[in-house]
Amino acid sequence: MKKILLACSSGMSTSLLVGKMKAYAKSIGEEDEIWAVSQDQAKSELARADVVLIGPQMSFLKSELQKEADKYGIPVEVIDMRAYGMADGKAVYEQAASLLGGRK
Amino acid sequence: MKQTALDKFSQILVPIAGRLNNNRYLSVLRDAFMLSFPITIFGSIVVVLMNLPFLDLIMSAGSLEAFRHAVGNAPQATMGIMTVFIVFGIGYYLSKSYEVEGVFGGAIALASFMLLTPFLLTTDSGETVANVIPLDRLGAKGMFVGMITAFASAEIYRWIVHKELTIRMPAGVPPAVARSFTALIPVVITLTVFLLINIVVTQVLQTNLHDLIYKAVQEPLVGLGSGLVATLIAIFFIQILWFFGLHGQIIVNSVMDPIWNTLSLENLNTYTQTGTVPHIISKQFIETYTVGMGGTGMTLAVVFSLLWFMRSRQMKQVGKLAIGPGLFNVNEPVIFGLPIVMNPLILVPWILSPMVVTIVTYYAMSIGLVPPPTGVAVPWTVPIFINGIMATNSLAGGILQLVNLVIVFLIWFPFLKVIDRMNVKNESSEAQAGAMAQSGQSIAQ
Repeated sequence: MKKILLACSSGMSTSLLVGKMKAYAKSIGEEDEIWAVSQDQAKSELARADVVLIGPQMSFLKSELQKEADKYGIPVEVIDMRAYGMADGKAVYEQAASLLGGRK
Repeated sequence: MKQTALDKFSQILVPIAGRLNNNRYLSVLRDAFMLSFPITIFGSIVVVLMNLPFLDLIMSAGSLEAFRHAVGNAPQATMGIMTVFIVFGIGYYLSKSYEVEGVFGGAIALASFMLLTPFLLTTDSGETVANVIPLDRLGAKGMFVGMITAFASAEIYRWIVHKELTIRMPAGVPPAVARSFTALIPVVITLTVFLLINIVVTQVLQTNLHDLIYKAVQEPLVGLGSGLVATLIAIFFIQILWFFGLHGQIIVNSVMDPIWNTLSLENLNTYTQTGTVPHIISKQFIETYTVGMGGTGMTLAVVFSLLWFMRSRQMKQVGKLAIGPGLFNVNEPVIFGLPIVMNPLILVPWILSPMVVTIVTYYAMSIGLVPPPTGVAVPWTVPIFINGIMATNSLAGGILQLVNLVIVFLIWFPFLKVIDRMNVKNESSEAQAGAMAQSGQSIAQ
């Protein structure tokens, strides 16, 4: 089971993507925990996650969050712009999965 | 070539945006305004109820007066004393950011603010009443002195705590008791500082810090921010930042919010007392007439255009995806899907339409065609037309948005059409290539 945390400014636009990612995960038979938070909650929530993805409009958060995430060895990455815009659940899910390597 | 120049600019912009977003004082200010937001919403709901347009038809003048009187303290207890929440919020969040006890930071900020507040009221007839706190000093008028005091007091407080000038209790004393003692010395020193400041200002200068800061800082800054030019500059920066894929409001609003919110509060105070609105530009002007039309850049018109007038598959798909969130002013699908980000073809309508719409809206309000927003807080996710009516308490406010929607549509249409034609060409050549490859395969077989 993967725990994927998405962060954006208020957690609203990423929540659209969360729905699509969950649907994709289910379609390939994975039971994953995927959730979206606002930037001020991201730091406290990331300890619970396996991987953190940031909305591209908040790409400047990366270095700040990475510092915190390094404590737990969690990868942090900015979501691909095009995949984000098209709410492409599959592409973003695969981005998260590839950051986790072979981990289940 | 163009693309690489854009990329370079973006590389410069991202760290600057990051620094502004992560700046301690700006993010504390943002959190403090966030704290007051639900409280002001409550006050706003009551103001809306008090001013429903048909109330005078269903109620007699006497009972309407009684109703307004009965609920009238709700806006005053929330939005009317907004500075109290901001001061506490700044004290709390700033202390927390330094990892010292936040609640004490908030209480110290509040006490420091009160130490500087004159407990005197001069009535219209020139009479001075003692032992009262004038409400306006806890609202719009005290906003800047409140913010400055809160930041200064929380800084002094945490500095003393970090210097470890505290009373330490032996182990075994209950933590809550120990905590109250730990806070004692920092509280006493911080409040002494502000007491001394107040003594100097009132006794030597014969005035008070509220009036000093109001005249020297707040009035000029707010005056500047209420102008059309300053507003256009702010909107220009928001649009440019989004063009590079960065959240423009998070960065620009953290600087402009103190000014815009102060203007809103002044509007609301005057509106509830006299029914008129002094300032055109305010927080609600920005929210309702720039964001509240489908999101930043007023993209609801763009979404309609994509859905109804574009032929390429890609654009129709973006339109379908964007319409749902777009109605609630969330437009990331358009910004990243169309895309708007780093798309040189889009730059002109993206910057131009908010400018034109802002100018049109400003003049429609300044000549009295449409009333300016009353200062009632409307959440930014309320759809177009409804938010315009709610913000201005007038149907004209909603109709103006529809006019603006058409303006945005007309500015965007030629640019979208060019992109659409390119997309159609690409899509058909892709389809052709696909068909060729298939027929080639079947021949080979």
